[in-house]
Amino acid sequence: MTFSVKRFMAIFQKDLKDLYRNLYISSTALMPLIFAVIYSRIGEMPLAMHLFVITLSLALVGTFLQCAIIAEEKEKNTLRGLMLSPATLTEIIAGKSAVTIVITVIVTAVSMFIMDFSLSGRGWLIAGILLSLIFFIALGTWMGLITRSVVEASVYILPVMFIFGMANMFIGLADQFSFLQVLEYTPGIQLEEIANLSEAGAGFDELWKPFAIIGAWVVVTLVLTAVTFKKRMMD
Amino acid sequence: MIEVKSLEKIFGDKQALHDVSFQVKKGETFGFLGPSGSGKTTTIKILTGQMRQSSGTANVFGVPVSKLNTSEYRKRFGVVTDNSGLYARLTIYDNLKLYADLYGTSLQRIDEALESVNLDSEKKTQVAKLSKGMTQRVLLARALLHKPELLFLDEPTSALDPANSKHIHNGLKELNRQGTTIFLTTHDMEEADHLCSQVAFLNKGVVQLLDEPKQLKKQYREEIIGIELKDGRELELPLKASSAEEIQQYISREMVERIYTKEPTLGDIFVEVTGRELV
Repeated sequence: MTFSVKRFMAIFQKDLKDLYRNLYISSTALMPLIFAVIYSRIGEMPLAMHLFVITLSLALVGTFLQCAIIAEEKEKNTLRGLMLSPATLTEIIAGKSAVTIVITVIVTAVSMFIMDFSLSGRGWLIAGILLSLIFFIALGTWMGLITRSVVEASVYILPVMFIFGMANMFIGLADQFSFLQVLEYTPGIQLEEIANLSEAGAGFDELWKPFAIIGAWVVVTLVLTAVTFKKRMMD
Repeated sequence: MIEVKSLEKIFGDKQALHDVSFQVKKGETFGFLGPSGSGKTTTIKILTGQMRQSSGTANVFGVPVSKLNTSEYRKRFGVVTDNSGLYARLTIYDNLKLYADLYGTSLQRIDEALESVNLDSEKKTQVAKLSKGMTQRVLLARALLHKPELLFLDEPTSALDPANSKHIHNGLKELNRQGTTIFLTTHDMEEADHLCSQVAFLNKGVVQLLDEPKQLKKQYREEIIGIELKDGRELELPLKASSAEEIQQYISREMVERIYTKEPTLGDIFVEVTGRELV
């Protein structure tokens, strides 16, 4: 299968223009920054709290934004137009994800700057964040494909945001509510694991497990997205 | 260009298409005519790879429709259906630019396509501010951008006023003259008569008649000559040599206001064949 950079760029540029004029979606992207400002004011922040804001940025911007973009394309019947054009599945998904990736990276970077958290010398964590970004964007794409409108997507995304975006916060309650232990397998907690292990000087022989768990999430969401996209090409 | 054999589509317990067969040759404008719910849109969706048939075969460009989902084939056809959408926050130009880039056509084609739908002066207008008719014209312009070999149009002028419909019809005729094959669904029989070289009457998922409009009118015309006299009387005479003398008498006495043959419209023929009005 060929990949046309021109078609990818056409979709990317269109989304950038469209998003610029979409206040509902673009204002949501500011939410993690508000959290970053609030947390940065409470003094010395533990690593877990930094990672909570980073995960929230990835989920709130990466997943929600992507979900809303795709859901709106479905709602307005514009996705079918793209599907009937020469653009391939990969070009459409990549083009539509590119804007979300750019905005997510910017918001996450600004959040870290506000919290005075540096990624310098944290190579494993950077790799973990990038892998998680793929998961959160694929999750948003899939959620957008299974919902019929932006309003429906906004409702469906809430529990997902709680599970994947705020797992780092809810995991503290796992001692009282044992069912919450399942959150240990979410990418947010695995990011924390990567950060803690690498801070302790661990090598890949110990770090492979959290990476494998996040990688498994990536594979599952990518497969779900591809299967659902192909289904949505047909009535 | 299109070859359909024994096509069937079943939704649950409802059969939308029954044993539909037809062929569309290169360069034709083929009209698929029928009232709402007769199966026209279902057929277009199957032919453009948006829906799978329950049975039968449907080939476009000589390949089964299931194989149409490649960039190469998609570049060869254009589609406008009732569920085609535009990006409301963007301008007409930005909407068309996206598709010009996707199809790899020059940006100059945007102006040409907009001119063909009479919207060249509106290209900077935001789509959200357009009327339904204007939106329909932008969708048509989008489908024409890459000068497709085959154009599928589902009720292309249903939201347009007569002046714009006429403009679109002229544009479609020109496109057809340039070699584009057009597959058109409509319930507007005048439109079909004006544009189509071949028509199929679809009723409750069944093709009940398939022929050239001219042939159908000939086949279903009443063999009668009507004469409207200046005194207000209207006469109907058989279209036979025996009527010639009587007609000549009226003419020589300068009594004739108008002479006409009673040719049915496609709408009349549809009602006669199917027993249904085109709504």
